[in-house]
Formats: sequence, C-alpha cells, structure tokens
Amino acid sequence: MRAGYATRLSRIAPYVFMAPAVLIMAGALLWPLAHSVWLSFHEWKLGTPQDAAVFTGLENYRILLGDPDTLTSLRVTLVFAFTVVTLEVALGVGLAILLERPIRGMNALRSIFIMPMMIAPIVVGLLWRYMYNEQFGPLAQLLLLFGVEESPPWLSSPDWALASVIIADVWQWTPFIFILALAALQSVPTSVVEAARMDGAQARQTVFYVKLPLILPVVIVAALLRLIDAFKVLEVIFIMTEGGPGLSTEILSMRIYKTAFEFQQLGRASALSNLLLLLVAAISVGLVLFNKLRERANESG
Amino acid sequence: MIHEKIAAGAVLAALALLPSAAAANPYQAYSGTTLVVSFPNHPHYDAVDRVLPEFTRETGIKVEVDKLQYTKMRDKQLLEMAKPRGDYDLVAYVVFSKTDFVAKDLIEPLAPYFLNPALADPDYDPGDLIDVYVENAGLVGGKKGYLPGPTAGLYGVPFGAETSVLAYRRDIFEKHNLQVPTTYDALLDVACRIPELEPGMGGLASRSQSGHQIIHAWLLHLAPLGGRIFDDHWNPIFNQAPGVQAAETLKQILACGPKGGAGQGFGGMKELFLQGKTAMFLDSTVVSGEVDDPNKSRIVGKVGWALHPTGIRRGSQTGGFGIAIPRNSQNKEAAFLLMQWLTSKAVDKKIALAGGSPNRKSTFADPAMQRQFPHFAVFGEALKYADADWRPLLPVWVGELKGMIGPRLSESIVGDAPIQATLDELARRTRQVMEREGFYTYQ
Repeated sequence: MRAGYATRLSRIAPYVFMAPAVLIMAGALLWPLAHSVWLSFHEWKLGTPQDAAVFTGLENYRILLGDPDTLTSLRVTLVFAFTVVTLEVALGVGLAILLERPIRGMNALRSIFIMPMMIAPIVVGLLWRYMYNEQFGPLAQLLLLFGVEESPPWLSSPDWALASVIIADVWQWTPFIFILALAALQSVPTSVVEAARMDGAQARQTVFYVKLPLILPVVIVAALLRLIDAFKVLEVIFIMTEGGPGLSTEILSMRIYKTAFEFQQLGRASALSNLLLLLVAAISVGLVLFNKLRERANESG
Repeated sequence: MIHEKIAAGAVLAALALLPSAAAANPYQAYSGTTLVVSFPNHPHYDAVDRVLPEFTRETGIKVEVDKLQYTKMRDKQLLEMAKPRGDYDLVAYVVFSKTDFVAKDLIEPLAPYFLNPALADPDYDPGDLIDVYVENAGLVGGKKGYLPGPTAGLYGVPFGAETSVLAYRRDIFEKHNLQVPTTYDALLDVACRIPELEPGMGGLASRSQSGHQIIHAWLLHLAPLGGRIFDDHWNPIFNQAPGVQAAETLKQILACGPKGGAGQGFGGMKELFLQGKTAMFLDSTVVSGEVDDPNKSRIVGKVGWALHPTGIRRGSQTGGFGIAIPRNSQNKEAAFLLMQWLTSKAVDKKIALAGGSPNRKSTFADPAMQRQFPHFAVFGEALKYADADWRPLLPVWVGELKGMIGPRLSESIVGDAPIQATLDELARRTRQVMEREGFYTYQ
C-alpha cells in the first residue's frame, strides 16, 4: 500500500514541480499570443473600450493582404533583414579571424569593437541621424575635407535611406557576431589546427577548411538570432526615418506601430503582428532544419 | 491678555464660518491638489513653463507637466484617456485630434464648467478669444463635424494656436533689392533666385518629412491654390489640378531650399531658418517667439513679416493646439480652473511676453504689446484670412488617411514618383477607406 502511494507520488511529483513554470509560461507567453489572435479577428480602435471591439472575421487579414503598402513593407523587411545579417556575419566572422591572433593591445581593441552593441538602440538612432545630417553632420564635414561639397541625401532620399539605416544596424550588431565567432574560434581545439598545419595546410586553407567549418554551427545560431532581431527592429528606424522617405524604410515592425498608433486599428495591427510571427517562425524553422540536415550530412559523410 | 487671546480666537472662528470668505477664493477648495498635464515639447509650451509657477503661488494647486514630442504625445494620451481612471487632468492636443477625442468620448464638454458660477470667472470674456482659433481648436459637431454651426459644442480652448505667415530675411531682401512676394508665382521666383544671389543659402524652408509633416506642407499650399481634400459630399478631390499644383510647388520649394532641407520636420525646418541657412519661412506664427532670442537664433533683428502669399485665394492655415479636460480625470474642476487661468487675458499676455503665441484679440490689440512685437500687426491681418477648413479634421483623416497619403506623397515630392498618378491612386484608395467608414451611406 505504502509502496503504491510512493510510486504514484513519484509519478506526479515532476508535474507538480513543473506546474508553476508551465503556468507562468502560459500566462506570460500564450495568453498574450492568444489575445493577439483573438484581436486580429476584431475591429478595435485605439482609445475606445475593449467591449467596443467588433468581430469582423478575416477582414483584417483581407485588408492587409490586399494593401500594396503592406506588401511594400514586407519587401523592405526582407531586403533589410537579409542584407544586414549577411553583412554582419561576413564582417563579424572576418574580424574575429583577424583579431583571434595574439597581438599586443588586442584585448583593448576587442573591447572597443563590442561597444556599439552596448549602446541603447534609441541612442544609436540619434547618433546616426546626426552623423548623416547633410548640413552639420560629421560625414558631411568629412566629405568636405575630400572636396565633396554636396553630401549624399543619406536619409532624405528614398534611394539612399534604406542603405543608410542598414549601415547603422551593421555598425551596431556586427560586434554581436564578432564576439560569438571569436569565442567559437578560441574553442577550436589547437590539436586540430596543428594537425592541419602539419599536413601542410596554409593559413588561408586552415581558416576555410578547418576553422570555419568547426565554428559554423555557432555562426548559424548567431545569424538566426540576428535574423529574428532584424525582423523586429524598430527603435533605430523609428528615430532615423520613421519609415520614410515614402515607404523606403518602413519595415513591418514600423508598419505595425503605425497601424496601431497612427491608423488606430488595433485589430489590424494584431493581424500584421501575427503574420510577422508566422514569417519569422517559418524562416527560423527553415534555418534550423538546414543546420540539422547539414550536420546529418557531415555525420554520414 | 487672556481676554485679548479669547477675543482674537473668536474673531478667527467667526471668519472661518463666514460663507463669503470661502466663496471669495475659487481656488481654496482645490489648494494642495496636484494636477498632471500632458503638454507638447513646443515653443509655446516652453513659454508656459515660465509662467506656470505663478499659478501654484496664486492658487496653491500644484502642476506636474508631462512633456512629449508633439506628434508622439497623442499615442500616450489615447492610452491614458482610455483607462477607467486616467493620470492626466488636462491635455494639450494638436487641433486635428479634437474630433477623434470627442468621437471616442474621451474629453469633457466645457459648457457645464462655464455654467458653474463657483468655477467660471465672470471676467473671462470668451468673446475675446480669437474666433477662428476657437472654431478650429474647440468646436466639434458643427458643419462637416469640425466646423462651426448651430449643432457644434465646445470641447477645448485654443492654447498655442497658430496661423501661417511669411517670415523673410529683411537684410537679404534689401541687399538684393528683392520684393517681398505676395503671390505664389512671386514666391517661387524669389525662392529660386536666392540660392543664386546668396550661395549656400536656400530660398524657403519647408517641412518634408514623410508622413504628417509633408502632408502639412502640401496642405499649406493646397488651400491658397484653390484645392481641398474632399468636396462637400466627402468625395476625394485632391487629385484635381490644385492638388497637383500644390505638390509641384512643394517640390520646387525643396529644390530651391537649403542644403539638407529635404526630409525635415517642423523643428528641423525652423532650425534651418533660425541658423540663417534659408531666407524665408512660410509656416506657423510660433517661430516669432524664437527669431529674436539670441540663445536660439542667428538672425536676431533681421526678420520681416508678411501675409501668406495668395494663389487663387488668400488662405492662411489654422493649427497649433487646444487644451481639454479628459473624461477620466480625477480633478476636473481644478483642471478647469487651470485651463481658465492659462487662457485668461492677463496670462495670455504673460505667455506672449515669454515667447508664446497669443490666443486673444486683446493681446494682439494691446498698444504696449504691439510696440514690443511689431509683427503682431501682420499676424492680426493674417487671422482675417485664416481658413478653418484647410484640412479635414475627421478622425479617419487623422488616423488611416494621413498615414496612407503621407508616405506616398513623400515618394512623389522628395522622390521621383509621378505626381498625378500617385494622387489618382491615393484618391481611389481614399474613396475605399471612406466607403468602409460609412461616409457614402447617404449617396
């Protein structure tokens, strides 16, 4: 009898211990998500009570998918996210390989390199808006020193603005990739590198055929984290361009903000948030699957 | 000695019991109250900051100011006013928010307060408030929903209201013997000659930041050039000839404007003028509070003022701010007393002296004020032509339509998208939104 009770207790115990965490997760994560889905099927205007929300079925999704501005915003988001992540990975890994070597003053250099990442995004936005100022900004002054009197319309032209905010994002977040890639490089066993050298591999070959394949899983995870972040970035663009000129820098998170606060359509903003969530989830799952397939291929190879 | 103390105590007790002693001071019942007000970061409200301590000294009512950038202020106000109990007791709002706030039942009608003899000051003189400012900032429910009319009610009082005037560099105009433009043709001519005559200087500063700012700039020219957003039955007509001409005008102004002028909001545009980078400024009167402040301006004593040039008709804008009491304020009566004090004749003059925008006829007409601010004569004249219908103050305009039109307009004016085709597409989409919102129910 006693033994049966103990068995039952030991069977229940894990669920009892897990229950608080599960409840907190459900409350903090699933409830807002469920509310967002509920809201996306309603028309609810900002500044009115929630009981004023009217059920409209799929109307919000229909309006969004038929809206050319939303589709433009989706295109801008994809261009922004994939460009910044590609540039950040290339520069971050490149810098990590360069700065991995034991050179005097390297610790100080590494500290300087990671500083942009520690600055609040709002400050980064203000900083770059000032940098790009065509009258008084440091870039305009620098160009003047080289005899260029007409500063490019960094933020005031639809042709330049997206590139300008991409530069700001790359400046801030390359250090994130750099620091993870550097840690991964430092954890590569020296015996493997030594063995490659003894086999006659040149420095370039060691990097491309030994080190990079070994740190690739870390780089993929870092790139995935950056990609998720890049889809959600708001503050820097909000401060620098507010999505303009035109819709040239209006990424989806900016459009969600405008739909909620400017257009005052909370239901439609929720629907757009859900679409963004689906998009990010699909891309993330795709990258994780790619990584697993690659690992499996390596194992079987 | 004891008798004297007893007698003094009796007198004090008797005074405290007299009803007239309490009634003589409308503020007494609210002394010690703390009011939280939502104000914009704006030159008029900077001037208000300098005057507000007097209110606390006079009344014992404390005031906490929550200041935000004016286009972002509305987001926080909406969230705050939608709560059952709000933190704000008085809100300043850009005039285009008035119908939105009333439609959502977020602000108080003011008639009950002006009817309350314990609150309303008999010397307030509402007829002295500038009529077009009251129409633009305070009246809701009249013609078109936002203009005066027999069905309109008062929900706010103008405070920091503005019209448009042309500010120009007198020294530059005199140096090159230029005529102050009175028509749009002359304005564009002078604006594009200045960069040739004064290398490094732009002709006219203008807002052009994507969104609200570029729409404001376009509308500023649309009304004088004979256009409107809607006809009287809410059909979009902004893609007709005046709309295209207003966009082309703005494009030309930017092309002849100062370096770095494209993409600026109101603050950036004002700064370009104050720093001497442009010879003209055609926008809100509020800039007058800063042009002669040596801490903010490099053009002290060099600015002349003229009326907004004429296109097909003369029409200056009406904008700026009003103040209202949120429905969910916990201190409505005290908030009304602050509203009344801030917009009284005496305080209107004090705020104008501190660099703010007057909202009363008596301030403009005061000879002492006119001596100190000679431009008041031009401003008073401009108010005669102020157009309360230069933009539609509908909730749907403030929300969805402005957000839809702003970026696309920016692509045509700052970018290279064809103007007529863009406006045609926007008119078509505007019609869809208006249809969805029920504006064509009677058609």
